[in-house]
Amino acid sequence: MANITLQATSPLNKYHQQFGDTTLSEMVDLSIYSIGLAIQPDAALRSINDVLGIAWPETGRYTVNESAKVQLLGLQADQAFLLVGADLSKDARPNLGASAYITDQSDSWAALRLSGSMSRRALERICPVDLHPSVFKQDCVTRTSMEHLAVIILCEADDQYLLLSPTSSAESFLHAVETSIKNIY
Amino acid sequence: MSQTYRIGRGLVDTNSTIKFAFNDQQYTGHPGDTLSSALLANGIRLVGRSFKYHRPRGIFSAGSEEPNALVELRRGAYQEPNTRATVAELFDGLQARSQNHRGPLGFDFMGVNDLLSPFLSAGFYYKTFMWPKAFWEKLYEPVIRASAGLGSLSGKPDPDSYDKGFLHADVLIVGAGPSGLAAALVAGESGARVILADEDFRPGGRLHAETMLVDDISGEQWVANTLSRLRKMDNVRLMIRTTVYGAFDHGIYGALEKKTDHLASSDGMPRQVLWRIYAKRCIVCAGATERSIAFGNNDRPGIMLAGAVRAYVNRWGVTPGKRVAVFTNNDDGWRTASDLVNQGVEVSAVIDSRDIDAPLSISGASVVMGASVVDTMGRAGIHTIKLSNRQTIKADCLAVSGGWNPNVHLTCHQRGRPEWNESQACFVPGGVLPDGMSVAGAANGALSLSAALSSGIDSASLTLQSLSIKPASVDTPRADDESTRVSAFWHVKESTKRCWIDLQNDVTTKDIVVSHQDGFRAVEHLKRYTTLGMATDQGKTSNVLGLAIMAEHAGKSIQETGTTIFRPPYTPVPMGAFAGRSRGKDFRPTRKTPSHAWAEARGAVFVETGNWLRAQWFPIDGETHWRESVDREVTQTRNSVGICDVSTLGKIDVQGKDAGEFLNRVYANTFATLAVGKVRYGIMLREDGILMDDGTTARLGENHFVMTTTTANAVGVFRHMEFCRQCLWPNLDVQLISATEQWAQFAVAGPNARKLLQKVVDADTPIDNESFPFMACGEISICGGTPGRLFRISFSGELAYEIAVPTRYGNSMMDALIKAGEEFQAVPYGTEALGVMRIEKGHAAGNELNGQTTAANIGLGRMVSKKKDSIGNTLSEREGMNTENDLALVGFMPTNKSVSLSAGAHFVSKGNEANTENDEGWMTSVAYSPSLECSIGLGFIQRGQDRMGDIVIAADPLRGGTTEVEIVSPHFIDPEGERLRG
Repeated sequence: MANITLQATSPLNKYHQQFGDTTLSEMVDLSIYSIGLAIQPDAALRSINDVLGIAWPETGRYTVNESAKVQLLGLQADQAFLLVGADLSKDARPNLGASAYITDQSDSWAALRLSGSMSRRALERICPVDLHPSVFKQDCVTRTSMEHLAVIILCEADDQYLLLSPTSSAESFLHAVETSIKNIY
Repeated sequence: MSQTYRIGRGLVDTNSTIKFAFNDQQYTGHPGDTLSSALLANGIRLVGRSFKYHRPRGIFSAGSEEPNALVELRRGAYQEPNTRATVAELFDGLQARSQNHRGPLGFDFMGVNDLLSPFLSAGFYYKTFMWPKAFWEKLYEPVIRASAGLGSLSGKPDPDSYDKGFLHADVLIVGAGPSGLAAALVAGESGARVILADEDFRPGGRLHAETMLVDDISGEQWVANTLSRLRKMDNVRLMIRTTVYGAFDHGIYGALEKKTDHLASSDGMPRQVLWRIYAKRCIVCAGATERSIAFGNNDRPGIMLAGAVRAYVNRWGVTPGKRVAVFTNNDDGWRTASDLVNQGVEVSAVIDSRDIDAPLSISGASVVMGASVVDTMGRAGIHTIKLSNRQTIKADCLAVSGGWNPNVHLTCHQRGRPEWNESQACFVPGGVLPDGMSVAGAANGALSLSAALSSGIDSASLTLQSLSIKPASVDTPRADDESTRVSAFWHVKESTKRCWIDLQNDVTTKDIVVSHQDGFRAVEHLKRYTTLGMATDQGKTSNVLGLAIMAEHAGKSIQETGTTIFRPPYTPVPMGAFAGRSRGKDFRPTRKTPSHAWAEARGAVFVETGNWLRAQWFPIDGETHWRESVDREVTQTRNSVGICDVSTLGKIDVQGKDAGEFLNRVYANTFATLAVGKVRYGIMLREDGILMDDGTTARLGENHFVMTTTTANAVGVFRHMEFCRQCLWPNLDVQLISATEQWAQFAVAGPNARKLLQKVVDADTPIDNESFPFMACGEISICGGTPGRLFRISFSGELAYEIAVPTRYGNSMMDALIKAGEEFQAVPYGTEALGVMRIEKGHAAGNELNGQTTAANIGLGRMVSKKKDSIGNTLSEREGMNTENDLALVGFMPTNKSVSLSAGAHFVSKGNEANTENDEGWMTSVAYSPSLECSIGLGFIQRGQDRMGDIVIAADPLRGGTTEVEIVSPHFIDPEGERLRG
């Protein structure tokens, strides 16, 4: 074998930009796994509780174990996305037994964090979801589409959102979010 | 001339002066002016020419209903035609031009049309230009189009940017007049999420045009106080310069917000934003629009709606004339006379069509009851009016009020029909309103101020209760219940001159009569026959007048006659706003392959395949034609090794105890028996038995498969499979997730492919032919520990693999493969070479799986397993799809090797004419084969498998030419498959 090593690159080259008090940044240390439940999910649900320390979320909500830096995003009744805040070079795939079907999605999604006072107004321009704090609360997550692109959006805190969009079109998505901010900035 | 018609401050900032130009003449105005108020302040009465007859026209209204004062605003590429001067906010440096005239505005050569008016009545075109037929397109239509029309476009790309957005509210309130503000107060104080939208730059509606008191303070002050309260509420969003132009399904409203139209420059920001508003409830407080009365020569500059005259005097401190006459059929018209007198303007006469006692005393005015205006004089501006009692009166402005029409438009956008209210002589909202909509204020027929305010409060309270929100207690503002008495009066029958109904489209009472005589009596027919209510104002001031006169002639009631359907948009919306950001490169997203940066640096030529940008070929120094590059890439791959990024193929992760059974059902061939570590080619049928997609599926574990789809069908196949999983077989234990984006995948093809890969695949995975034979697969590690996958599959027909790494390593992987292949002169190849090699090998692709063909057609009929059921299995047995004459996929070679073949050519037997009856099939894919040194093709032809060696004609009548071709095996290269198994 030749002495060749592979270099990893992030979809958006570790983008980071400040717009007044609003920040748009690519999140690079984020492992993502889809977890599909088997028809008989009891064992998987117990494992999730035991291994991850969090409960299976209802669709449209996410659960968090802050100390373990994991979030479980309820995207449909039998499928959730596990977000693990960890260096991507380390395999963070949990062992949940045979009744949970896990697929690595870490390279499928570009992750952008939008935070600051202009966040919601910027997202108004591209996001059809009602992001009002009374509706889209801090534990909310949903799939949607923005500028023809699939997006998973979750509310991390007041005026702070995590946006996941497919890797191949990440530059188009970044352009869409950037334009939205600039159009109100 | 310097604002000689400015008589007071109104609500404009007279401390500041701004300059603007109209037809290149410089004028001044003040912040708070519209273009029309500033023009009137400067004594400009003639502002445009009419659509058809090029009649001189002046400002008619003070709002978005304006039919006459349309101008071209701004210059150069920024020029916007048909802008209503009445809603164009004045800014320093504004430039406007009148439109639709040849020569100067004051002497329009096309005014000759007016002399021809006796010949140009309704239906004239239809009756006159019927012969000779050929003249219509080349002569008549161009001439007619050139002589009639509105403004002109710049012909240049619009340099402004536009945006779109989404808003959500409990309650959307349309209009911030008295009822809208009152409703917003209640809804806002109750804690509901409120959007209050108003098209004006100064919210308040008619309160700014009137002198009435609310809660014992001026209307203007009450508006200011109310807005101040609303602005302090976080739950209320006040959107000025925003027109709600349409009510759509499911509580969705369209709104256009003008962001920078009031500024000299957008400064890079979006000029306008098109909002989609999702509202649980909507209260329409859109007010009412005044209508005119039809009498002789009622279109001269200086003849205006009475409410507009009042608005110019009270809001803008401008009088439209020095000596004003008022012609009315209702008490509201008298208030115009009263306000004018109070502002010191001479009112020469008040003419009321009703034979009643005068409602008010107007100082200095001649009051004529039970009379009408029959004619007016003054070509470029009115100076005299003539009454039905033969009296003539001097007036440089005639304020006309024919009553008020509630703005019911939004209530009708889902085919609701308004109802005629006889006592108020107007249509009010009726029938079934759009879900969640209610109407308040003048828009609902509450025409007095007091009624409008209480209507807003009541409507908001009911709306909130329907949302289970407790309405806050808000006192109904006190105001006078002014008289709104009206007596229906549509046109002056004594007039012998043309009486105009639709000023924008030059429709007269005579046109209505002609339409009736010619049998076009239904209102929708009337509209099309006469053009009543068309164009930018959509008949806001003319529709009711026109249909009332039609009703009169038809001997029907107005309710029976009905209205035309109101459709969005309520006011014009620029095309740019509908497009939003979707221009140029932003029209759609771009997907890039994992090795895009590497390919770009290598000088690749890219091609769009769907949203993907894929490397088409990689030219090198000295190559001057794409074929040189592609031929080299094919030859070098077949002779040594080539590498192609194939990440765009769809990848679907299929897991579960029933994954094999699931695949058995979606694929026509069997997958449950596939061994772990093996790959199988599969075909998928639609329910109707037609081929849907093909690809390979690898079994990585007992319960784990990875399916590949074609690039084009990646999304469609995944959606289809999810439908099958969730709806058809929810009892199967299977989970699906797309992994297309997860893996960067590269085809490594050619006789040296294995040797190259042995340099990057870690040693713990032997890939010799015995350990890793054709159609093997496995999870491996690469370049010292990077996780990867390896598949021994071949699209090119060569010894080939597809190697996959997580996408983040994709760009580096491409570089690594090329470097590892240096000793073999490895080449990157693009989609063109990929296509050439698959045609040489005879593999079907999108051109062959085009939604018309079956498995049998492509020679894979036996893959449709009869040992199990699968989607499309049964219907693939249909008699019509299994005949002796069926199409078969075969290869074609020109008998003359120097000839190029054309995809799309159709086959006919030699000696037969090339026509539909003799059509035997078509060429699906062609390429120049550097291996065979001639053009080759794949195609479908009847009984193809039985006709090897036959010579047929490939006819291409569309592009010209016919070619003799020989039917050959579709496998031009290595038909026995020795290379790929080697």
